[in-house]
Amino acid sequence: MNLKMPDLSTTGSPIKVVRWLVEVGDFVERGQAIVEVETDKATMELEALGPGTLLQQLVPVGSEASAGDVLAVIDETQAGSTVIGNSHTANEVSYHRDFLLNLYERMLLIRQFEDRVKALFLEGSMPGTIHQCQGQEATAVGVCAALRPDDFITSTFRGHGHALAKGLTVQEMLDELFGGVTGCCKGKGGSMHIGNIGKGMIPGIAIVAGGIPVATGMALAFRMRKTQEIVACFFGDGAVAEGAFHEALNMAALWNLPVLFVCENNLYGASTRIDQVMKNTKVSDRAASYGFRGETVDGNDVLAVYEAASQAAQECRSGRGPVLLELETYRRSGHSRRDPCHYQPKEERAFWSANDPIIRFAQALLVDGNADLDDLDRIQKRVDDEIESAVEKAKTTPKPGIEDLLTDVYAS
Amino acid sequence: MALITYREALRTALDEEILRDENVVVIGEEVAQYNGAYKVTEGLWAAHGDTRLVDTPISEAGFVGMGIGAAMLGLRPVIELMFWSFAYVAFDQIVNNAGCVRYMSGGLLNVPIVIRGPANGGTNVGATHSHTPENLLANMPGLKVVAPATAYDAKGLLKTSIRDNDPVMFMENTLLYGEKWDVPDTEYLIPLGQADIKRAGSDVSLIAHGRAVITCLKAAELLVAEHDIDAEVVDLRSIRPLDEETVLNSVRKTHRAVVVEEGKPFCGIGAQMASMIQEKAFDDLDAPIGRVASLDAPAIYSPPLEKRQLPDPQRVIEKVLRLS
Ligand SMILES: Cc1ncc(C[n+]2csc(CCOP(=O)(O)OP(=O)(O)O)c2C)c(N)n1
Ligand SMILES: [Mg+2]
Repeated sequence: MNLKMPDLSTTGSPIKVVRWLVEVGDFVERGQAIVEVETDKATMELEALGPGTLLQQLVPVGSEASAGDVLAVIDETQAGSTVIGNSHTANEVSYHRDFLLNLYERMLLIRQFEDRVKALFLEGSMPGTIHQCQGQEATAVGVCAALRPDDFITSTFRGHGHALAKGLTVQEMLDELFGGVTGCCKGKGGSMHIGNIGKGMIPGIAIVAGGIPVATGMALAFRMRKTQEIVACFFGDGAVAEGAFHEALNMAALWNLPVLFVCENNLYGASTRIDQVMKNTKVSDRAASYGFRGETVDGNDVLAVYEAASQAAQECRSGRGPVLLELETYRRSGHSRRDPCHYQPKEERAFWSANDPIIRFAQALLVDGNADLDDLDRIQKRVDDEIESAVEKAKTTPKPGIEDLLTDVYAS
Repeated sequence: MALITYREALRTALDEEILRDENVVVIGEEVAQYNGAYKVTEGLWAAHGDTRLVDTPISEAGFVGMGIGAAMLGLRPVIELMFWSFAYVAFDQIVNNAGCVRYMSGGLLNVPIVIRGPANGGTNVGATHSHTPENLLANMPGLKVVAPATAYDAKGLLKTSIRDNDPVMFMENTLLYGEKWDVPDTEYLIPLGQADIKRAGSDVSLIAHGRAVITCLKAAELLVAEHDIDAEVVDLRSIRPLDEETVLNSVRKTHRAVVVEEGKPFCGIGAQMASMIQEKAFDDLDAPIGRVASLDAPAIYSPPLEKRQLPDPQRVIEKVLRLS
């Protein structure tokens, strides 16, 4: 795997290598910064796309390189366990098998979690309402895999998948859904407001588009503090009709803020198809009108999402943000708890079932020889066991008492 | 008479007014083809078509503002908010344009709009979806605020609100939509600013609006059965305009008042009532005015606690017992 110089300069001028951060022979993690480079605009770090061993530094410190030049060679066969021929044909980047299986496991965890929660609702043991994301697992997992642990996300009423992808535990989420003090929001937030700032996710913002300016403000904070973090802001196609979306995109563009706007275009806002509420249904087009880059990506291809998000994240970190990613996907559950989904035509549902992100990825893993059926079974069992034991505990989690009701209102 | 739900009462009010006045148009998210998020507008699109029932994008500031503009020119838009909680996105339009324009035009321009939808907690959906903004809106001169507790009132008040020449903020409750009451088959209207004695009594006045009225009626039954206290339940029905006389007459009769609301206590409707009563009927009071409201925090999600955050008959009873 080669580390190439990305297209960083707006003017096309060459980019200087300032410092190597990893010695030849060192092992690097996926996402680890390898080299610091300087453009005419900013200094930034380039990261490894996958884990491996740094074999060669091709450009010495102080020298310049142009977009596309190979800077370093990384041998990913020396990344721990062996790589079995893996390929994602889109751009011939190869990935370590563990990384791929990890993506698969995360997606499956979200699917099984959502299905289990649905069953709990149906049996009447879980209160409130739910907005589930079956069918949209690749968007959450692909984007979050492209983030660093100290990056942030903002989410919506439909946040279970984002939360699991960002690293919230099944237990803290189920406890929250059951209204327990051990929940990630101490039972005060519930399904629509799930989050854990300790893991880089503020509570879900359940008012459509409400999170978009908030994420933009977080990006402003990174900029003011000169940190390297970025924020990925998840929202639906429905949010594009709100003023908050447009106001935030304009300001993010104006100040080149490191925010990755992630529109999960699942064709519907509640029961309403996008072509009933917007004349131009290509959401990514909005970016150009504010003067930044937008891209539409197959949101059911987890690697395509990962790659697009990785590139966008890099742009954001190098001061060339924001980026708007439109991820085309489909919600296989109802909009909320009571929605029977009548408005989704049969053929459309069938098309998207065949295009299910988890099935697609499982097939790719099998075809490329990265996994066999036993591997997938093992993962499934691990996921199911984790969820089942968490459900048992969550059912009896202690509930907040009346004395807890009036706490946490003010900081002082 | 027919026994119909609160939801059906709202629907027939809309249906009748759409037929009666060609200026009436219902606008909102999913009000037409999907029959409304809470099925209030069910069947109306099939009956009246695209020009009278308009589905919108998720653009509250946009379609509330458009409703206000259309109202200035004589349409009578009825804007449905999926939840009143989403009105905050449109607050500028409601407060500045609907609320102030008549005054600023020197009385030349009316805004005959109705903005309606559920404004309640108690359904385990968390703080952002459980707001009860009647006190915020009633604080704005120029806006009217109506909150029916029964199907009968919902129908009569909605019809009047649509015909009213001022902006009316109409607060419903998802927990009442399925409740049934007797409603006349023949047309009737209920004037805004006319409270209703939902239960006559002699010992204490329970003053409430919206679903809190139902809570008070239950409390009144228990008070008479268990404590031999005969409570009168005064349903404000409209908060602004306010029927001061009916409230004061009740207090003059019972000499005790407890104001009950599902909103938060701070700067709440109860504070307004208490100040009005002590100013105008101080000598008639035999005890301080009591208040029962939601416990003073954002709406909690955790189900057993959420129930306790809202007023319930037990809390009303305790407050009444402490007065005497
Ligand atoms: C301001 C606001 N208006 C309306 C709603 C009610 N609502 C919740 S989700 C939703 C549809 C959102 O659609 P989209 O943004 O496409 O997200 P998806 O549900 O497809 O994930 C609506 C109308 C809300 N939460 N906030
Ligand atoms: Mg959508």
